[in-house]
Formats: sequence, C-alpha cells, structure tokens
Amino acid sequence: MKVTTNADRLVRQVLAGEIWPPLADRHAYRVGPDGQPFLLPGMGGVTLDVHCGDPATGYASDHLEPGASIRHRDPGANMALQFLTCVGNEVRVVSGPAAGAVGHVIGQHAYVLADFAAAEGPGKSDTAAEGPGKSDTAAEGPGKSDLTTGDAVTVLAVGQGLALPDHPQVVVKNCAPGLLAAMPGGTRPDGRLEVHVAARVPAEAIGAGAGMASEYANTDLMGAYAGLGPDLSLGLEGLRIGDLVALADADHRYGRGYRPGYLTIGVISTGQCMMFGHGPGPSTLLSGPASAFCLVDDVDANLASWLHAEVAP
Amino acid sequence: MTAGDLRLVTVNLLGAVEHPALDGSPYRIDRDGRPYVPAGDGGIVLGLELGDSVFALDADHAAPGACLVHADPAARHALAAYACVGNEVRVRTGAAVGARGVVLGKRGEEGRVIAGFAAADLARIRPGDEVSVRARGQGWRPPGLPPEVAVMNLDPGLLSVLPIDLAPAGTGGGAGTETGAQVVAVSVRVIVPSRLAGNGIGRPAAAWDLDLQLPPPGPDGAGDVLLGDLVAVSDLDVRHNMGYRRGWVTVGIAVHGASPLPGHGPGITPLLTGPAAALRADAHAAGHVGLTAAALRLQ
Repeated sequence: MKVTTNADRLVRQVLAGEIWPPLADRHAYRVGPDGQPFLLPGMGGVTLDVHCGDPATGYASDHLEPGASIRHRDPGANMALQFLTCVGNEVRVVSGPAAGAVGHVIGQHAYVLADFAAAEGPGKSDTAAEGPGKSDTAAEGPGKSDLTTGDAVTVLAVGQGLALPDHPQVVVKNCAPGLLAAMPGGTRPDGRLEVHVAARVPAEAIGAGAGMASEYANTDLMGAYAGLGPDLSLGLEGLRIGDLVALADADHRYGRGYRPGYLTIGVISTGQCMMFGHGPGPSTLLSGPASAFCLVDDVDANLASWLHAEVAP
Repeated sequence: MTAGDLRLVTVNLLGAVEHPALDGSPYRIDRDGRPYVPAGDGGIVLGLELGDSVFALDADHAAPGACLVHADPAARHALAAYACVGNEVRVRTGAAVGARGVVLGKRGEEGRVIAGFAAADLARIRPGDEVSVRARGQGWRPPGLPPEVAVMNLDPGLLSVLPIDLAPAGTGGGAGTETGAQVVAVSVRVIVPSRLAGNGIGRPAAAWDLDLQLPPPGPDGAGDVLLGDLVAVSDLDVRHNMGYRRGWVTVGIAVHGASPLPGHGPGITPLLTGPAAALRADAHAAGHVGLTAAALRLQ
C-alpha cells in the first residue's frame, strides 16, 4: 500500500507463546441454529488442511482456526501477547520437531492464530497445493504437520501504534507494517485511502464479538452457515480464510460497535461455525468514516497473496 | 407430551448483592475514544426505577435495583440461567431483612440477576446481603401459545400483567386465523432492526441480555425507551443462542440503561421469540405500557 506511515518509529518486541490445546468440558455437545447438537473440532491446537486462500466454510468444524493456536501460560502475559501481536507478524517455532519453522500471524481469536506453509508429508492436504499463494509451500523445510500442543513459539510483534499521518480519520489496528506495505492501494489523489477487499459484509452479519475490544478475538459473521437454511443466509458462504473484507456501518476504532457511515476493514482469520450467532471472523485492521476510504473489489485481496512470500515483519 | 405439558418446578436460589468491581485502571474508553469512569455497572443503583428512560442517567449499564451474583462461578451462571422476570426475591440478611423484591431482568457474561425493590427497601440493602430467589419459569409454555413461538425467562405469574395477547382480535386468537395459524400479539415500545444488536449476540438468551445500540431520543423524546418496556428486534432468533434469522422476531424487556462503550447500549432480557407470522409485535411509541412498579407492588 502506497501510504505514508510511522513504521520507522514503532518498536519490535520479542514475545513468547506456546501452542495451546483445544478445550472442552465433560458435556461435550454444543447446539446449532436449529437446535442440532454437535461435537466438532476446529478451535485450539494445530489445525491442518486449511490455509489462507482456502474456503472459510464447508468443513465439519466449529470455530475453525487455521494453523496453530497460541497463548501464553501466564494470564497477564497472555493478554499482552494477544493485544500486541499483529496480523503479518512472524512466528518462529523454537521447540519440538518443527523447530525452525516460520509462519505468520493471520489474526486473533482469544488465541493468536499463525498459519504455516503446508509441509510435505502426512499433514499436507490435497487442496493445499492448489489455491492462490501455495506454490511456495513445498520447499520450506519443517512445517505445520510436525507441530503440536506445547511447542514453544516466538512472535516478533510489531504494528500496534501504526498510524497514517495523511489519513488522520483512519485508525490502524493489529496490522504489521510489512503487511500494510504489501497490500495494494494507498493514498489516492483525492485524499482517500484505497483498500482492496474480496467481500463486503452488511451490518446484519455482525455476530459474537460485538462490544469487545478491537485488539482481542475477532468479530464473528453470521449468515455463512454452509448447508443450512436460506433464512439464515446473508450471502457470505463464499468467504475464504485470509480474505480482506469491508464491514458496513462498523466502527472499530475503540472497540467494536455499530455506527452508520463508518467502515471497518478486517481479515478473515477463522472459518466455519455451527454455533448460532457465530461464523467466520475478521480480525480488525483499519477503521474510520466510510468517506475516508475508496474500496476496490478484488478477488485477490487475500493474505495468501502476501504472506509466506517476502513479507517483512 | 411436550415440555409445555410438564409440571414446573420452583427452585430457591441464593444470591448475594453485588459490589461493583473494576480492574487496575478506573477508565474505560467510550465509542468516541474518550476515557470515562464507569458508574452504575453492577451493584446497587439508587434513584433509577421502572418507567425511567434507559438514557436517564450518565452511567454504564445502570439497572433499576440491586444486582445479585454468587461467589462460585458455576452457581452464578445457574442463578442467572434459572431466574425469570417476575420471580419473587426476599432479603435474608442485613438491615433490609425480610424485604420483598422481584426479578426485573438479567445480565450476561459472568451472570447477574437484576432485582427491583421498593425505594425504601433498596436504600437499606448493602453489598453482600443474601437474597433468596424463588426461581421458576424456564421450561414453561402458556396454553394457547403458537407452537412455533418459544417463551423463556418469564415467571408464569407475570404473563397477565404484560401486554401479551394470546388471543388477539381479528386473528381468531388461539383458535387460529382464517389460515388456521395461531398468533400471539405483543405491544412493544419500538421494533428495532437486528443490525442494532450488540453485546449478547451469539450468546445464550437464558443467561445473557442483548444490548441494543440505540441512538438517544430526539429533543421531543421521540424514540425513547423506558425501563420495563417491551422491545421487539426483527430478524433475530434467540432459541439456541441469539443470532440472525430472516423473518423472525424476538421480544424482550428493557432491563438496564445505556452504556458509553462501543457495541453496548440499553439491554433487553428476551422473553418471546418466533417467526413473525406467529409472533406479532405492534409498536406503540406513545401508548405502550410495559412492566411497572405498580403491577409488581413495589411501591
């Protein structure tokens, strides 16, 4: 993105985390939109097979978190890890057989979510070599299929505090300077900020996550329950993991709320949900008055176009 | 035999009057980015009553009465889930021992029950006082309710004092319309589009209120909502978590006031949810009368 930033004034911090297991309780089942009980994986641990560029929905999964799900064991340190980590930050595995593998943060979801290039071997899916941005995945050495719960990772955190001096009404959240630089668009002659998005989301879709801090978890989108009734659909079944999306009438500058005439840009960091009022979720990147933005519809506006390539941290 | 044919059980629950709690910083950040100190978010709030505007005070989620909690998190969730609007409560300890109150609503996340009292009783209550809640209502279905409509969080004894009509004129009522469909009609203050739903969306309606991101009323009071009013939300289904469903309606009762936080606002405790063809919400911006202190004998 061709835009002036304060990136040279940001600090970089080394943060530690570990891959955190999926969590369940002894009652096991949750309940879907029509009352259907379900027990489905997706949240926590290491989820193989789904990467940026792949469909967000259509899996037998709930709260699908692609890649590794990361927390810190200490509650206070964990909140710092969740708040300070930004989309596009580098994540390096430092213990276990996958030590040395490098991935990137794709969002937050009460876990930091890191996607790693699909490795050769049992963990590689049939689809992993097909989607956009996947051609570089085979030769990177240790990969995601060797990761598991408890493996330690290092996050090189940079991005909170990123500002756009030429766009004072636009607030940047959770966005690594390197990711912003890699995105298309930028300052237009008319002064607006051009942002490319793969999908536009109506205000009716905003689900769980409304009212929470913009730097934590994400905003679940309703209306993307693949395979369920048309009365539940808001036309969002085509979302992909990593898509940049525009949320209409959403003001995420100081938390997540409804405000007519505002706009929020997010990146889809989680996928399929069966739980009602939940769904694929964007982590917040940019927010401000709609008049400050110029949106360009672009099917390639996806993290797969920029991550695992040469994104500077 | 359906759930509606089964006999209700009543459960005595123990609540403790909440003390407000803050973390290390006194500040929260409002929707315009300004720091503020949250007053009225839980605990005992004096001077706010049913019939007051949800925008009456410069406070954060202020509720008309005392919030009840339990020290054990699981027991606290059960307290919130089983308590129903209209349940009787009784103070068991402290200076207000013996005082009678009524459950007015509930709040989510960790779980809170909002209990209303006569003003003189409320003024004698202190955080930590024990309160017994006579919980009944979950699992209840009133006879004549259309089968597609679900009821929740409602004491059976409260049905007759709320503007809920199980046999609305012109529909044939419980006997069915000309198309044979049953309809329940509810008078509400306002019908709100689902895009205004904030905190509470995606959460269980039996244990969590739904904040509505309502704008403050105009200079003439137009668009105001009063505590105790019934409010309808279109395209919202709250049977299995609260979420978007086209053609559906949810009716709840306004239980707490506005909040400066983005994504928050006046909250409703859901009471009825169903397809719009079976659950008819009629907006009466001026003439609506919801739950009142007089109807609850709290004056």
